[in-house]
Amino acid sequence: MTGTPLIRRPDVITVLAMLTLMTIGATFLAEAGLISTSFVKTLGKTLCLCLAAVAMDLVWGYTGILSLGHMAFFGIGGYAIGMWLMRARTEDIVAAQLAQRPLPPTPGEVDQAAAVQIFGVVGSDEFPWMWLFADILWVQLAAIVLVPGLLALVFGWLAFRSRVTGVYLSILTQAGTLALSLWLFQNDSGLRGNNGLSGLQNIPGLTHIPQSTLSLWFLWASAAALAVTYLLAAWTVSGRFGSVVRGIRDDEARVRFLGYDVEGFKLVVFTVTAMITGVAGALYYPQAGIVNPAEIAPIASIYLAVWVAIGGRGRLWGAILGAAAVSLLSSWFTGGGAPDIDLGFYTIRWTDWWLVLLGLGFVAITLFAPDGLAGLIERALGRLRPNRQGDFGPDQGALRREETRSEPAQ
Amino acid sequence: MTALLEVSGVSKTFDGFKAIDNLSFSIGEPELRAVIGPNGAGKTTFMDLVTGKTRPDSGRILWGERNLDLTRLSESRIARAGIGRKFQKPTVFEAQSVWENLRLALAGTRGPLTVLARRRAREDAIHTLAERVGLEDHLAHRAGTLSHGQKQWLEIGMLLAADPRLLLVDEPAAGMTSAERERTTTMLIEAARSHAVVVVEHDMDFVRRLDCRVTVLHEGRVLAEGSIDHVTSDPQVIDVYLGRDGDA
Repeated sequence: MTGTPLIRRPDVITVLAMLTLMTIGATFLAEAGLISTSFVKTLGKTLCLCLAAVAMDLVWGYTGILSLGHMAFFGIGGYAIGMWLMRARTEDIVAAQLAQRPLPPTPGEVDQAAAVQIFGVVGSDEFPWMWLFADILWVQLAAIVLVPGLLALVFGWLAFRSRVTGVYLSILTQAGTLALSLWLFQNDSGLRGNNGLSGLQNIPGLTHIPQSTLSLWFLWASAAALAVTYLLAAWTVSGRFGSVVRGIRDDEARVRFLGYDVEGFKLVVFTVTAMITGVAGALYYPQAGIVNPAEIAPIASIYLAVWVAIGGRGRLWGAILGAAAVSLLSSWFTGGGAPDIDLGFYTIRWTDWWLVLLGLGFVAITLFAPDGLAGLIERALGRLRPNRQGDFGPDQGALRREETRSEPAQ
Repeated sequence: MTALLEVSGVSKTFDGFKAIDNLSFSIGEPELRAVIGPNGAGKTTFMDLVTGKTRPDSGRILWGERNLDLTRLSESRIARAGIGRKFQKPTVFEAQSVWENLRLALAGTRGPLTVLARRRAREDAIHTLAERVGLEDHLAHRAGTLSHGQKQWLEIGMLLAADPRLLLVDEPAAGMTSAERERTTTMLIEAARSHAVVVVEHDMDFVRRLDCRVTVLHEGRVLAEGSIDHVTSDPQVIDVYLGRDGDA
């Protein structure tokens, strides 16, 4: 009764097969010149958003913590890798320029000139303390997971220990996100204020490789990260750990009386998902090319929750489906892909109306398909589980036994 | 027989209402004890206090040989110390299978990382438990699909799975048919051979069948204690409980 081995589960097979097919397909099409580099980047970025959505599903769909702040960790991951990308590349450029001079520049001079290059825009000419190790790649790589992890650990410890739950926790996470983004907007935050970090698509040391190739590398990396995370997440939620966190979602007091330290479980899930989201951001922003404080705005985290809700909470593949569908549709509608509709007296421009459409779609899903797109698919496949929440009262259960006979245990 | 749980001089007030008033109570191991009393006598609050859901305003609740003060421990810590609780309304995880429910409750490690790492389920233990509570044919079913009585049994099974030293059982027979009641009685008496069991119950017939020492609560205090015949002939008990409650 321990269930199907992970690798033979239909959802795992489907997700891995789709990822492989998409990556190989995109690679061939791109090599053949049939799809543009920017479309490859869109695909790669979408995979990163799917990765964040898997993390969101773990924390919300499985554990029941509606965090409306996870995209802050996404942004932090982007900033962490962006600092190295920007500093290393600027130093390369500056060093090349200074090399023209009769005297070769000292490392200090290169540093100074790079600082002016990067921070001139916010009226500074030296690296803030935060950039102390920004020229060391492994430090920044570690920061991608450590900074989101540490922030989530401290925030979660304070919030969960005080038993803040439900909507109050959601509001706290929104407040935290807002505070972070407002702080980043300031010029003296040390991260270039509202200019953010830019030129991230240029990878220092790999400048001789064209963007068309780099974009494929990032696509592969994003697909690999998503595949690995999916396997890990599916493994995590399939065992007793998954049973405990779903118990916490449905009745956390009961889990406590069984002797489980609910706060500890929440803290582990919150922290680990923050780290996953950080990795997703670090893969996303080199493909986007720029990260700025607007990316950390509270609305971004709400979008993340909307994707998971549309895709179907509590199903990892549903989160991927929701994030992919909504973000691809969004870039189609807002990128001018959708033709305007001329009503004679008024022209519907999708760049203006896409959000209205998304809002209506969200309301429709909430009303008519509470299990999201994944629920619709399961219904089509005849696999939707009957909803048997609630007490039937004495002596009625026997009548319902037939309905449950074929139901698989998780 | 030394006391396993010793509640002494505990009081708890909710918004000026004295739910528990200077209550003292003790139970040994093994022992079966029934706690009865009219509505609002403080039976459920008493359980909340012992399991850490509610903190007392004053008094001490001591546990075990080392006299742990339960009023300082968290709910999960108290549960790990060996106190299991079954709620009045059956509270099982309805979205999960009977098998998963039992696995959750099964004694063993409870920390997040060890739970993640140790994945081998103790199949035999789960099957034995399911047999004990008559759910061996329902292991794969979701708990939400069980009948009311079966949910009560599943919860008793979860209680036994955790192998606590003290079982607090709140109205186990509520909403059961007479056949289900009989089976429940047997389960509880059997459990009380090796554990301390406190049964909170409304139903006098059920308590009579348990054939054990009875504590009568009234307005947060112990009104009488003794055999069922002793307490039912106590004039005070008749006055506040039996006299008012026609069905007993």
